[in-house]
Amino acid sequence: MTNAVLANEVEQLKAAALGYEARHRPIPNFVFPPGVRMAVNFTLDFDAMLARRLANEPPMQLAKGEFGGRIGIWRLLEMYEAHDIKVTIFTPGRICELYPEALRRAARAGHEIADHMWEHRVPADKALEEDHLLKTIAALERVAGRRPVGTRSEHTPALLRREGFIYNSSTSCTYTPLYQDDENGMNRLVQLPVHFAIDDAMYFSANWAGSKTPAQRLLDPDEVFEMWWSAFWHQYRLGGYLNFMLHPFVSGRASRVDMLERLIVEMKKLPGVWFPTCEDLARHVLSRHPA
Amino acid sequence: MPWKQNYTISDEIGMKDSDIRWPDCKRCCFSVVVDLSPASTPSGITSADLTHPTSLFGITLGLQNIMQLLRRFGLRATFVVPAVMAEIYPDQIKAIRDDGHEIAAGGWKHEDVSVLSAEEERDRIAQTTSTLERIVGSRPKGWFSLPRQQDAFAVGSVSGATMGLLIDAGYGYMGNGLADDGPHYWVADFARRKALLTLPYHYSCDDQFFLMFPTEGTGLDRVIALKRNWLREFEAQYRRGRYFSMTLHPKGSGWGHHAEALEQVLAHIVNFPGLWNATGAECADYWSATYPADTHLRLSASIWQDHEGSLS
Repeated sequence: MTNAVLANEVEQLKAAALGYEARHRPIPNFVFPPGVRMAVNFTLDFDAMLARRLANEPPMQLAKGEFGGRIGIWRLLEMYEAHDIKVTIFTPGRICELYPEALRRAARAGHEIADHMWEHRVPADKALEEDHLLKTIAALERVAGRRPVGTRSEHTPALLRREGFIYNSSTSCTYTPLYQDDENGMNRLVQLPVHFAIDDAMYFSANWAGSKTPAQRLLDPDEVFEMWWSAFWHQYRLGGYLNFMLHPFVSGRASRVDMLERLIVEMKKLPGVWFPTCEDLARHVLSRHPA
Repeated sequence: MPWKQNYTISDEIGMKDSDIRWPDCKRCCFSVVVDLSPASTPSGITSADLTHPTSLFGITLGLQNIMQLLRRFGLRATFVVPAVMAEIYPDQIKAIRDDGHEIAAGGWKHEDVSVLSAEEERDRIAQTTSTLERIVGSRPKGWFSLPRQQDAFAVGSVSGATMGLLIDAGYGYMGNGLADDGPHYWVADFARRKALLTLPYHYSCDDQFFLMFPTEGTGLDRVIALKRNWLREFEAQYRRGRYFSMTLHPKGSGWGHHAEALEQVLAHIVNFPGLWNATGAECADYWSATYPADTHLRLSASIWQDHEGSLS
């Protein structure tokens, strides 16, 4: 009896793990466009204070996020433009009502505006989820002049496909771009992997994602520079990919903008480093390695 | 829906680096903030805090070491003083004043005011102001609500009423805001355009989150990370011609080798030409006169809406 229960447990766990694995479609022998050895995406998760507001945090926490909209986003765009790099801004729909000028300016300059949920959450209720996604698409289209094709979210893949999305950037299962299906093996989307080791908030933002004050170990830009350079160098040797997950309220702080600029200057000294938007990279994947 | 209430405290776009000018063609404002509160929790200063060995060190040797360093580099600082500390240690507070530093208010006992009624908070602000005025000889112009090591959030805490009450009480500035890294206006009442000038603070340049953090005995001493945050932020702000502020606690930065680390950082900073070392009040006076809220607080017409199925 006990053995049967345990065996059943194994079957269930195995089904979960293998089913999950089967949804992921790595791309063997992944190749970049000619002359490219490695791709680097700079992505800005432009939540500003929305995630703080959602968690019902107090006024000064909101003000800390507000920095991203008033100062950080502008400063980061200016720095990237000085280095001729186009970034992808993952934007909650409601940010379009809070910081429309910053987004319009970014879109005009050729940066990509992509989805990051309506108010930084995916509602469990399917009808409300659809409502949130449609609101976000409409809001982003109003500021950017075109519909978003990318997302960083856990939105339902079928919904995303129906609305014309081509990629998601939300997995850490491997280094280079791949395809990911939904639970039914359908609604395939390009996945552009990220990793929390390349997320600025882990190192610089106190009380990130509900973490308690005594658990904070704030780092400095020099130490993070060393880690991120190591991550870049690892992928450069492999001919791989790196996706920087940055928050304007975190990385828009002056010393961190300078740190990112130092990284870019160093990366540009090496041949074959490509700085596309996520959309550019996803379209390359679709054309060179069709689903 | 009035304005972007519960989301934002200031205007949509901050001042550009290139629009900021400092007095006498100075290039960057440099502010040193020294917090004299030994409070470790949101309850504010307790007998246990005051009888802690390093609190005693902080208000005696630690404070002397910090004042000596400031004197040596010819720097003037803003000392944040809870009213009860002025009552307990009036001689220290007067000595700080006599060295040319500013005495700003750090609350009644540096307690978290967000749990108080507006009426109670108003009374405490009034009591704090009159206590400091009696002991220091002049009314404080600045108010700080700095974080404590064991707060839920490392940013400081105010209530929804605080900013309006500070304006009514005649304060010229709030000392720790996070929505900008330069001076900016904190809107207390959108309809009446009531706003208080706010000076920037960031926990990455506050020693209490690096030295013996989270608490003595279980904490780590991360002097190198603190030094590098100070130096890199200073250099970046100097290049932008903006504002650099460091927050010190005498029990932390005033201690032996910590004080030596601070000394090295200050020695590096004061070598940069064109620094404007201002107290909070001097900076606030300059900013309010040069960039008044009437012309420089640019509140956009709100396109903020209420949506069914989302947060208000």
